[in-house]
Parts: sequence; structure tokens; C-alpha cells
Amino acid sequence: MGRVGSLGRRLLALAVVWVLLALLVAGVALTDLFRRHVEADLTRAMEQHLDQLTAALSLPGQGADQPLVLARELSDPRFERPLSGLYWQVSQAGAVRLRSRSLWDQDLPGGGPVPADGALHLRRAVAPEGGTLLIWERRVSLPDADQPLDIAVAANAAALEAATGNFARVLALSLGVLALGLLAAALVQVRLGLVPLDRLRAALADLRAGQSTRVQGAFPSEVQPLVDDLNQVLADNADMVERARTQAGNLAHALKTPLAVIANSAHSMADADSARLIAVETERMRRQIDHHLSRARAAAMARGAGLRVSVAPALAGLARTIPRLHPDRDIALDLQVSDGLLFRGEGQDLQEMVGNLLDNAAKWCAGRIQLSAAPAGPGQLCIIVADNGPGIPADRRAAVLARGTRLDEAVPGSGLGLAIVDDLARLYGGSLELDEDAALGGLSARLTLPRA
Amino acid sequence: MRLLVVEDDPQLREQLRAALEAAPYAVDTAPDGEEAAFMGETEPYDAVVLDLGLPRRDGLSVLRGWRAAGRTMPVLILTARGTWQEKVEGMDAGADDYLAKPFRMEELLARVRALIRRAGGQAAAEITCGPVALDTRAGRVTVAGQPVTLTAHELRVLSYLMHHQGRVISRTELTEHVYAQDFDRDSNTIEVFIGRLRRKLGVDVIHTERGLGYRLAAP
Repeated sequence: MGRVGSLGRRLLALAVVWVLLALLVAGVALTDLFRRHVEADLTRAMEQHLDQLTAALSLPGQGADQPLVLARELSDPRFERPLSGLYWQVSQAGAVRLRSRSLWDQDLPGGGPVPADGALHLRRAVAPEGGTLLIWERRVSLPDADQPLDIAVAANAAALEAATGNFARVLALSLGVLALGLLAAALVQVRLGLVPLDRLRAALADLRAGQSTRVQGAFPSEVQPLVDDLNQVLADNADMVERARTQAGNLAHALKTPLAVIANSAHSMADADSARLIAVETERMRRQIDHHLSRARAAAMARGAGLRVSVAPALAGLARTIPRLHPDRDIALDLQVSDGLLFRGEGQDLQEMVGNLLDNAAKWCAGRIQLSAAPAGPGQLCIIVADNGPGIPADRRAAVLARGTRLDEAVPGSGLGLAIVDDLARLYGGSLELDEDAALGGLSARLTLPRA
Repeated sequence: MRLLVVEDDPQLREQLRAALEAAPYAVDTAPDGEEAAFMGETEPYDAVVLDLGLPRRDGLSVLRGWRAAGRTMPVLILTARGTWQEKVEGMDAGADDYLAKPFRMEELLARVRALIRRAGGQAAAEITCGPVALDTRAGRVTVAGQPVTLTAHELRVLSYLMHHQGRVISRTELTEHVYAQDFDRDSNTIEVFIGRLRRKLGVDVIHTERGLGYRLAAP
């Protein structure tokens, strides 16, 4: 699939094309309409001149050389001014009989014979002063004349062209301004119209950041189906992950009881070598199951969206439980958690990490454990488990985090505790650091995790 | 000492029974939640080993039922579900200890011993009464440092008396805590055990309270 480009740009480009095309058509049509209008006006005026001229003609004599005179001058003075652009001419049987003074010594350019239908006929020719000349002609039969007269009035088209040109210029300017306005409006429309998409993007960013498990809020009816589908997909996905996780858990747990049976049977076997081998291998199997079970769970959920859990109750539960699991050690556990602290992830994983650290502390401490949780920088929180036990020498701390290491085999435990914590913390993009506690003198385990 | 083992897997159930009987405890077993709930409410157990994933009724619900009914016997949860969340849940439901499968039998025995000892208010692994000492870890009895050989039933009787020394214990109570449910009980045999114990120990620590029962106290 290639790049489909910006939706906004696409809408805007369409608007530009559409606005320009519409305004261009409107401009051409309006200019044409205006020209027709002006031409019709001119035609009416010229017809009046022609009627006036016709009425002013008189034929005082009889016969072939009948004189033709103008009984009175036409009212428009331009007919008197030479080459004024307004002319008239009367001809009979192809010969010019009378013409306006404005024509000076020229005749109007000749055309074909005028049809004898009494209608007004328009033709174009080259004007004496240059430019286009519009000529209106009519064949008139005067009662006194033995032959019909061709009466013509003419006007230079320059005025008409100038008026049309002026109109077109003003129109083009207006339409240009209108086009800019429309495009600005289109820009605003596209921006406003795409605001829900920006909101959707923000909602998706929240989703990725783990602020929510579904796309929140109401969207326009065009976007809402998309959002609904997306939420459905998210829900389905969460279901699937949950199912897979349950299956993995069931499998792991189903294996543990037979494993216990095998290990116990091996213990009472006569062949000591085989018994030891089986014991070692079953222990390895158990570690593998625990390790991969917690990894599978965390891997499925660490990148999962929208999970957050309150830190205080999760730690309080552990703080209640740990001293009860080590009743002979008489442990005083001090718990301090910042108000409203939220871990971005599974509560089960949080308890797994802190539980293992606390269990270690409980095994080694001389009666005192401090558990504290507080925000640490943007988007992170820090949980510290400190005890007053012997601690771990600096040069051996890295080794403890390696899988399967147990510094003292005499203290019961899987030996995987710290490694699992380290694994889980890394899966969440956090870290586990071991140090010596300044106040208590024992080990201080510092867990850095994402905060919601 | 009488124990209830609740476990649905028959193999593991028998292994647990065998190991605990060798300890030696009187052991009853229940294969599902309903039966376990009933037995725990009606029989006086000194400790319970409880699986959580049980047929018919979930182990946690059984445990909550016992605690709601005022049953205070120590309960060790033995389950494949070993996450800390589940441990917290189990301890909050009223369990006293939590062991994840697979487990080492020695560890289970040690924890059961510790539970029983603490329930009787005994802190140390060795319980003494005058010259008589009971090592709960090994199930060994010594009188003034000299080992005494006891049968399983004799050891159970002495162990119960040692865990509850100073208190008058009726023959019925002793019977209930020394025999498993399916055992053909006869409270007269208790007198026989007491007689043998007195002979073997050779010191006067078991006192008879007329019409009430027995009391263990230093001579």
C-alpha cells in the first residue's frame, strides 16, 4: 500500500479545484451576459436613431433623380462630428444617397443587399477610424420613393468592448477576492472537520501510554463506527490474551502436581543415584515452569495497553502476609507508600516482584524490613525493600541476579527470586538494583517501574 | 496429633498420607471441597493441609467457611498456584502457611510441625516436660537424655499431651486426636496406651484426674 497522503490536503485540493472551476465558469458566463446586455442596449438606441432618421427623410420630387433630403438634423451631435464613431448612411439601389457628416468623405463599408423584410439586420465591418464597426440596416419603402431605401446606422464597437472589458476586470477582481474567501473558509472547514480525528489520535496516544484500555469519548457519526470497531478489537485482543494466559497458567499448574508426585516418589526410591537425578531434574522443571510462566504473563501484559494498578493495596497485602509466612523470625515491617501512586501494569506482576524481594529480605533480615514506594522522575516509580540482614557483598550482587544462583543453599527458596524480579522489571522497561542500605545496613533492593 | 489432608490428586494424596503417618500423625483425607468442608467443621483436627484447586468446592471458600464457623486449627495451603497475589489471598482467607507445588516432603513436614507447635504455644522444636523431651523434628523421645522407643500410637498420645501440657485432656479428646476417622475407635485402648507410656517413660509425668482425663506435668 502506497502513501495515501493527508486527508486535509486532499479535501483542500478538491476545494481549490472546485472553487476555481466554479468561479471561472461564473466569470465567463457573467461577462457574456453583460456583453449581450450592453449590445442589446446599443441595438435599442441605434434602432431609435434609425427610426428618427427614417422619419426625417423626405423626397420632395418625382422620377429617377428624385432628390433625397433630410428634413431635420438627427438629435445626437456625434453624427455631426467627423469620425466620431457614430454614423448613418442612406443608399438606394446600391448607390449612396446621403450620409452623416461624421462619415466625412467615406462610405460605410459595403455589405450585401439588405433583405426586404423590414427587419433590422446587424453586420460587422472595419470602422473608418479603425476598430470594429457594428452596422444596423433596414430596407425601407417610402411611399414617395420609386425604389426602396437601405437605411444604415453604425457605431464603433470600441465603447462596447471597453465597457465589457471594464466589467470583466472588475468581475475578475471580485471573483478573485471571493475565491480567496472561499478557500479560507474551506481551510477552516477542513481543520474543524478533522478535529475529531485529532481527538481520536490523542485518545490512541492515551491508549498506548496506558492511560486507558479503550478509546474514550463520543465521536461524530462518521468516526464513531471506527472507534466502536477499534474498541471491539481491543476488547477481543484483551480477551484473547487473558485466555492464552489462563491456558498457560492452567498448563503450568496442571504440571506441578504430577511433578510433586514424581519428586516424592523418587525420594523413596532404593536407587540413590536415580533418585538424586530425578530430584534435580524435577527441580529444574519446576524452575523452568515458574520462570516461563511469569515471563509469558508479563510479556503478554507488559506491552498491553491501559493497565494500571494502585500500589498501596498491593504492597499492604504483601506487608500483611510476609511476617505471617515467617512467624519464627518476628519481623517488624515498616511500610511507606506515597498517596495515589499507580503502577502501569499488572497488579499480579507488581506483587510478584515485590513479594520475592520481601521474601528474600524476610529470610535474611535480623527482624527489620523497610518497604517504601514513591514517584521517581517523570513516568516512573521507585520501590525500595531494605533489611537489616548481612547484605550481599558488592562483587557478588551481579551474580545473584543470574538465573538459578543461590548464595546460600541452606536458606530455603528457589534461588530464582531475584532473577525473576530482574526479568519482570526489565519486561516492564524498569530495573532492579542492589545496594547496601545506609540506614539499616543490610541489602537494599531498588525497583524502578513505570508509573501511570 | 490428627491431620486432615485435602488433595484431589489420588497419587499425591496417598504420598502425603504415607509421609504424615510416618511422622507419625493420624491422617484423614478428603478428595474434594465439599467433603473437606464437612470434615473440617465436624472433626477436631490439629492441622490441615489444603489444596486450592479442588473439585466441587474451591479450597479458599472451604477455608473461609471454616474460619467463619470459628474453626481455628492451623491450615497449610499446598497448591500449584504459587504467585504472591495468590499467597496474599490465601493468607487473607485465614491460612497459616503457604507452600507451592512441587514441594519437598521434608519441607512440608517441617512446616506442619511448626504449625502444630505454634498452635500449642510452643516456640522451640524440642518440647520438654521435666526429664521427658520430645524432639518434634525427629519424633524422638528421651528421658533424662536416654532414648525411649515408642510405637506410632504411643508417640501420638504422648505428643498430644506434650503439646497441651498442664491442661486436663479427656479420653474422648485424646481419642479424637490420636485416631484417624476410619479407625475402629475404642477409648479403653487409650488407657492401655497410657499404661504402656508410664511404664516406658519410667517417670511420673502423666497424671490421672479422676472422671476428667489426663494431665501432663513435671513430677
